[in-house]
Amino acid sequence: MNVPYIVSLAYQYADNLAFLLLAALGLMIILGVIDVINLAHGELIMLGAYTTTLAYHRAHLPLPACVLLSFIGVGAFGMLLERTVIRRFYRDKLGALVATWGISLLLSQGMLLFLGPSLIAVPLPEWTLSYAGYSFGGYRLLLFGASILVVLLAWWIFYRTKFGVRTRATMQNPAMAQALGVDTRRIYLYTFAAGSALAGLTGGLYAPTTTIVPLMGTTFVDVAFITVVVGGGANPILGALTSSALLASISAPLSSVFGTFMGRIGLLLTALVIIRFLPRGLSGYFQDLQRRRMAGARS
Amino acid sequence: MRGPLGIFSRVGGRQDLGRGAAFWVAFAIVALGLVAFPLFGSAFYLSNLANFFVYVPMGLGLCLLWGYGGILSFGQAAFFGISGYVYGIVAQNLSLTPGASLLGVAAAILATVIVAALFGYFVFYGQVSAWIIPLLTLVLSLILETFMAQTAGYQWRIGHVLLGGYNGMTGIPSIQVGPLEFGGASIALYLLTVIAMLLGYLGLRLLVNSHFGYVVVGVRDDVERTRMLGYNVARMQVTVFALAAGLAGLSGVLYVSWGNYINPSSMGLYAATLPVIWTAVGGRSSLIAVTLSTVALKWLADSLAVRGGEYAFLIMGALLLATMLFFPAGIVVSLNRLWRRARRQAP
Amino acid sequence: MSSPVEREPLLRVEGLTKAFGGIRAVDELNLAVAAGELRCLIGPNGAGKSTLFSLLSGIHQPDAGRIVFKGEDITELSPFRRVRKGICLKFQTTRIYRGLMVGENLTIARGKVRGTNGRLEWALGVLGLAGETARPAGELSHSHQQWLEICLALATEPELLLLDEPTAGMTPEETALTADFVIKLSGQGVTILVVEHDMAFVRHIARGVTVLHYGRVFADGTLEEIEANHEVRRIYLGEQ
Repeated sequence: MNVPYIVSLAYQYADNLAFLLLAALGLMIILGVIDVINLAHGELIMLGAYTTTLAYHRAHLPLPACVLLSFIGVGAFGMLLERTVIRRFYRDKLGALVATWGISLLLSQGMLLFLGPSLIAVPLPEWTLSYAGYSFGGYRLLLFGASILVVLLAWWIFYRTKFGVRTRATMQNPAMAQALGVDTRRIYLYTFAAGSALAGLTGGLYAPTTTIVPLMGTTFVDVAFITVVVGGGANPILGALTSSALLASISAPLSSVFGTFMGRIGLLLTALVIIRFLPRGLSGYFQDLQRRRMAGARS
Repeated sequence: MRGPLGIFSRVGGRQDLGRGAAFWVAFAIVALGLVAFPLFGSAFYLSNLANFFVYVPMGLGLCLLWGYGGILSFGQAAFFGISGYVYGIVAQNLSLTPGASLLGVAAAILATVIVAALFGYFVFYGQVSAWIIPLLTLVLSLILETFMAQTAGYQWRIGHVLLGGYNGMTGIPSIQVGPLEFGGASIALYLLTVIAMLLGYLGLRLLVNSHFGYVVVGVRDDVERTRMLGYNVARMQVTVFALAAGLAGLSGVLYVSWGNYINPSSMGLYAATLPVIWTAVGGRSSLIAVTLSTVALKWLADSLAVRGGEYAFLIMGALLLATMLFFPAGIVVSLNRLWRRARRQAP
Repeated sequence: MSSPVEREPLLRVEGLTKAFGGIRAVDELNLAVAAGELRCLIGPNGAGKSTLFSLLSGIHQPDAGRIVFKGEDITELSPFRRVRKGICLKFQTTRIYRGLMVGENLTIARGKVRGTNGRLEWALGVLGLAGETARPAGELSHSHQQWLEICLALATEPELLLLDEPTAGMTPEETALTADFVIKLSGQGVTILVVEHDMAFVRHIARGVTVLHYGRVFADGTLEEIEANHEVRRIYLGEQ
């Protein structure tokens, strides 16, 4: 084990971590706050990628502006979805799942009819760093940085703003929050919009790295679903962070040695084992741990 | 409820639509009509109908699991595919042995049930929230499709059977019992699918109206309550999950006997969606509704696919969304309610 | 320890502790219940009564301590196995299958028990449910729903029945009927623990009373002793 090899492993780990984190965070925030799973999350990522790609090629905007447009545009679309569909299913979680699945079919097939089987991708910015014979994609490192920034931002909103306090109150006890004057419907609307905007951002950020096809969402959601299951909805930010940190440590070595497919298998098996023992995921486990520690401290 | 008549009163029990004499008369007429159809219909129609009926056990399995058991799963297609591939591997490898295809059927359904039970063990014994199961079953389907799609080439073979990668496994022999071959255009296969459909329906209807069935419904309505009446809820859920998977496996075997091939997309995203659409649109609380909607929607999807697959899935997606928004209990079940209300109000 | 088998109570709880969010709802609690006993558990809100029941029935796992039933340590046993051992709980808020008929509720509860001892049929008759089997359980009156839930618990043929506020929301007449029923049930040999706020009910039962306070047994004795206990009056009845 020499230093360059370790650096290369760390790079792959960071790359995997960023992907899992960005793919899952929006979904997880929606689950944590609204307790609804949005099965159209992958298609929202696809919309983000399409927005960036179209804005880049047709409007000739610089890439950062395209990504920002994806963030805002898909967020607005999420708001529309919440108002028209999601809102009706707050009392019926499995119903929400099935309805959003219908939306996902409509979006991917609609896009196929509307814009054809594929778009020409945004060229990948060619920044490379070399170190002792290994070369690292600069854009990949930038994605890692972006994922960390996004988590920090989400954390700041959640724990340091008035909106965050109200959101956490709603998570704990919606009826109580409502009685204290929190407009929970508005919290749900903004949360769903934020989760969708994160999907748009993810799509925009990854647009230069993949082929832009209507079904591209599925390559994000299978790992996103596993990350969500392992993380649990008890605390979305902590859950997303710990879950992707754990899962990246499994998928990075597996996929670099045996290929992407074995990486995915490893993730699914990890998820099965985790839920067998921690049915509420990592964040649920941490929550229980914290409660127990508090109980110990007071006695 | 005792004696030989007990079974009839049980099959006609409360846990499904259609309880009057009129229903059973209509049911008998339709059943007889389906059995007698080969006397009139051409091989082309028989083959087409068989292709629709093949999927009914899979749909009924999800109806039991989701509608009665409260467990939503996207895994039916995965089990359908596992069964089809296992049958293909066994039946093709032993194609010279007499009775190989029956061995293939047994191996296929057994493999399906074992995979489902293992998967179910992890999921249900952990007592996870309801949303985790659809997510993980969806991932299971996607992973299996990805795996099978990359098994192209000579190195991917079991015995002398090639897995075939994206193009799938071809040349799978039909089920054969003695001189009777259950091939795609045969009357034998048509009748087998009719029997599988009718027996599947009646058997499940008997099951959901039995003590076991009521406990399954009890688990759906209140897990904690049922556990506190002394039931091993997790084991019950694994059992129902494996049973539903076994029914999907039956469909898978019938399908490969009909078409003599299977490919990875039979386990893919859309294949995984279809049973959910059939069950939701028909009405998950009723076995007969799901039987009808499975056949009707399979027919609809096939007719639409002639105009290009995009339209089929666009319309299926719209149908699913519209059902969830406007008829959350399902279209057949909602129509039945309307009809009953109208009849009650009529003088 | 001359003859442990004879002296072993039906239920023995030792050092049982359970905390929620920093508060010890049950705090090193000790309790012994003899076979055939009928005892009321009382105490102010938050004294740990319902938590104790959730620990006894296995809904929650204790942080410390152990539960011994019929001489066997059942602390780690899952809820459904405890039911099979003979402990059954009536929940605090009524939990029946509202969408199913009364008879179907009972079918589920009865399980594979076929040769009944007639107790369930007797209970259904006394509680006015015998003629209601073909009615949706959700359409029953509030009191009948409570009684149906007691009958569901009885259908599992328990040796120890845990009743969590069986008379909540009932009229005085219905409360008296429930109390009479519980006394008769006890007379048939079923060991019963009742959590109840309604002192009219507790007086009607007029048996052993255990007072919980801050998750511990605060006092223990006959109804008369408890009512005469000034400390109990102070914490429970708010008297100075």
